[in-house]
Amino acid sequence: MRTRVLALTAIAVAVGALAAPAVQAQIRSAGAAEKPAFKAPRTSWGDPDLQGVWDYRTITPMERRPELGDRQFYTDEEIAELEGRATKRMTQNPDTTVQTGLVHAEYLTDPGRHVDESKRTSLILDPPNGKMPPLTPAAQARQQQAAAARTAGGAAPGPAGGKVDSYLDRPLYERCITRGLPSTILPTLYNNNIRIAQGPGYVAIVHEMIHETRVVPLDGSPFSHVKSYLGESRGHWEGDTLVIESRNFNGRTNYRGSGENLVLTERYTKVAPDRIDFRLTFNDPTQWVQPWTVAYFMRPSEGELYEYACHEGNYGLRNILEEARLADKAAAAATKKQ
Amino acid sequence: MTKRLARLAGTLLLGVAAQPATAHHSFAAEFDANAPVTLHGTITKLEWINPHSWLHIDVRNPDGTTTAWMIEGATPNTLLRRGFNRDTVKAGTEITIVGYRAKSGANRANGRDLILPDGSRLFMGSAGTGAPEDGKAPAGEQ
Repeated sequence: MRTRVLALTAIAVAVGALAAPAVQAQIRSAGAAEKPAFKAPRTSWGDPDLQGVWDYRTITPMERRPELGDRQFYTDEEIAELEGRATKRMTQNPDTTVQTGLVHAEYLTDPGRHVDESKRTSLILDPPNGKMPPLTPAAQARQQQAAAARTAGGAAPGPAGGKVDSYLDRPLYERCITRGLPSTILPTLYNNNIRIAQGPGYVAIVHEMIHETRVVPLDGSPFSHVKSYLGESRGHWEGDTLVIESRNFNGRTNYRGSGENLVLTERYTKVAPDRIDFRLTFNDPTQWVQPWTVAYFMRPSEGELYEYACHEGNYGLRNILEEARLADKAAAAATKKQ
Repeated sequence: MTKRLARLAGTLLLGVAAQPATAHHSFAAEFDANAPVTLHGTITKLEWINPHSWLHIDVRNPDGTTTAWMIEGATPNTLLRRGFNRDTVKAGTEITIVGYRAKSGANRANGRDLILPDGSRLFMGSAGTGAPEDGKAPAGEQ
């Protein structure tokens, strides 16, 4: 195990060192990894073989911290400090005086402790400033209208944690229905794993969080235009890169306001026996003034992909509704007394 | 037992403060951040269940009676990756919970810290425990 860890660390350092200039060179590139030195192994029917369970934990933030300005890469000293801090958080007792706002004790979450091996200061690769592009004027207006509606007539913004009149008020994620795309493929608190399985003409991606499988045809079949939470995905190969385009989202799991008009393009390229270079491009002209791309490396998961049958014991949802009804009763009783 | 727990204890992480994190459920809708609670009791059951595990404890009252509490914990997948399984925590183990109580005052809490009688942390890794970062495999792993 120690040997494995050391070997993995050595590979991580080596790949990181190689990846940084490569990524730098590709900052402006819309394509996936250019001319990878590594040729992916083939399946028995000749497709590049991406199969396995892949781990995409990282402590690299989505957007670059403002104080880093235009700097695209962390220094080795900064990485050592960030990863050291993450490791320290693992091995020290939790500070129980700090309320974190998380449903879990922080030390029971699993967001990883590594800066992405690209060393970039943000998961956002493009635009090069590491920030999401500005909203279109129409999207800004929608956001302002939604904010105004929440406080219409001088109403309070609502109870802490959102409206709880019915389970229907609660987020789809809290109800264990889905996180939807793209959320399900972005690094989060835990369960950051996918399984890729391939067959002739198809690729299946199993998302541990929260228990979905996408079966993606590679045969050029047209989109059916049936809308759904995960949308419709169609894939093809560009050299060693698996390219998957997804559209026809139903808009109920929208990401930062983008839903029905969103077109997502995923790119998976095996750049080493134990690394996938992953790119995800967001394109929604009704939301952002330009497309933007997130990139990170996936590594083999150290364990299995475990089943996450989310609604199995979803006491949290029941408890939230119960808390709200008890609060209603208490408020009614207080009004009666007056 | 304690040693076994300590040996099995895996890597544990605190959230990355600089990284915006979305929890599965709204903490604010379920628990009261202004109602910290410390409970001493005996484990009666661990519900190894999705989306979150729940630890059941009997808390001893001054009059000798006990009160049942439910403590919310991590998702089983995370616990598995930390080297735990459903048999790691046995009924009858004494434990102290530091957490936040349900808003209504019901006997439920969000477990912030889980402490064994010798002061070691349940689910908490430390140097030389066999946690993955020590390079030693937890029991049952390669």
